[in-house]
Amino acid sequence: MNATVPALSVLIAVLATAVPWGLPGDATFIPPMVVVMMVFCWRALPDTAFPPYLALLLGLLTDIMSGGPLGFWALMALIGASVGGRVTSLADSQDRNRLWLVWAGVAVLIGVLSWLLGSAYFVRWIDWWPIAFGAIASTLLFPVVLRVVVWLRRGRLRLGPKLYRGLS
Amino acid sequence: MRGGHSPFKPRPRRSWRAPGELLNFTLFFVCAVLLVLSRIGHGALTELRDGFVDLTAPLLEATSKPAILARHEAARVKSYIAPFSEIDRLKAENEQLKQWEWRAKLAERDVAQLRALLNAVDEPALHYVTGDVIADARGPFLRSALINLGRDNGVRVGYAVINGAGLVGRTVDAGASVSRVLLLNDLNSQVPVLVGHAGVRGLAFGDNSAELRLDFLPDGAALHPGDEVFTSGSDGVLPRGLRVGVVTGSPGAYRVRPYADLSTLDAVSVLFFDAPTLTRTDPPAVALDRALSASPDDTKVSDAVPTASIEPPSIDSEIKQAGAPIATSAESVAQSPQ
Repeated sequence: MNATVPALSVLIAVLATAVPWGLPGDATFIPPMVVVMMVFCWRALPDTAFPPYLALLLGLLTDIMSGGPLGFWALMALIGASVGGRVTSLADSQDRNRLWLVWAGVAVLIGVLSWLLGSAYFVRWIDWWPIAFGAIASTLLFPVVLRVVVWLRRGRLRLGPKLYRGLS
Repeated sequence: MRGGHSPFKPRPRRSWRAPGELLNFTLFFVCAVLLVLSRIGHGALTELRDGFVDLTAPLLEATSKPAILARHEAARVKSYIAPFSEIDRLKAENEQLKQWEWRAKLAERDVAQLRALLNAVDEPALHYVTGDVIADARGPFLRSALINLGRDNGVRVGYAVINGAGLVGRTVDAGASVSRVLLLNDLNSQVPVLVGHAGVRGLAFGDNSAELRLDFLPDGAALHPGDEVFTSGSDGVLPRGLRVGVVTGSPGAYRVRPYADLSTLDAVSVLFFDAPTLTRTDPPAVALDRALSASPDDTKVSDAVPTASIEPPSIDSEIKQAGAPIATSAESVAQSPQ
């Protein structure tokens, strides 16, 4: 499977981070975490091409959209891609709970790193609650996102040459 | 062959992993460099970002429209199913507001008479342009919004941004057709304010939460929850008298709850207030004689802008359109009935 469908799906998630949903302030960490989660899922699925430089580019796009420090979400997406790339032994139809557990670990790592990096960047201790809330929410959302990614992948495989000929 | 290895058999190509690892390392290094450049505020990076946001503005606007429409519809449905108690509350509030209107008119007349007696010079009216929020650029470290107004509309860095409820923030980046507004509750937001009837001076800091932290108050300042908070204008950037919010909290930990709901912004107005500080930091591309609030007559106002004020509007129309009492006697109108 080439990188077109994964890239497009993550791009849509990136665009969704900029949509004014009217989310409360505590939930601002969730949309970009979904982007990282999608990168992780695509990389974790076997036989799927999602090169790390694509993760970097989409992370940079998230940074530009959010107006935050440039390179921050790119770094988080790269971490997601790196860890996701190392769990490819898990098939897409089995061991989902194990994948979920791995993501929970990644979410904690990203949360702690975000808090430390954010505090260092702004030279003050930033509020940890929105980050913790985002990490917890992303962990709870993981099965949904994984299901979407798997559905996209299966749809691509089944409809492959018929539907995606133009995109490939 | 010894060891069972034949030169004709394919060997594991472990060496091919090395370029992959190197690439990964390079990408992580690129991120680190970008973070450092972003921290020191490299000009080229800012320009690139502004240019890109300008380019993607139509796409962002198109993407945001369904979400904004859905939000409006949800609010409408919510208002339809509002209980009768809400109608009673609104009726009572309307009665109260009518009394306030009467008192405000009296106060306005008194102020006009006193100004005439003192030969006071009228402050110039503030001009503004109104646009829409096209992207919610909020993250864990930043509270900002992108609006569909830019330098083509006369917007510059540092201008105050308000909505129907009060002050929202100020512009921090201005592209050709898009600007980024730093919201009041952002970590980097600091607004000098006046609190309550006594006009106690203080500084309202954003800390990424829904409310602002009120600090640098004089010793023994008598504040009460519910006191109104206005901009003082002492920073030379924001105009004086813009509504910010109300005091909450207790002594030692006062906070300000902004009037504007910063999580659901829609239409906002940018005030053309060219203080000398702004003129130095972001020189106007059009005219220099607009310092200290002048009309944006010679700025091009795009047709795409929903509403724009070219002629000085009356106080009433300012309140109706921009939604906040802006400088001049509107400030007295807002404060005098106490």
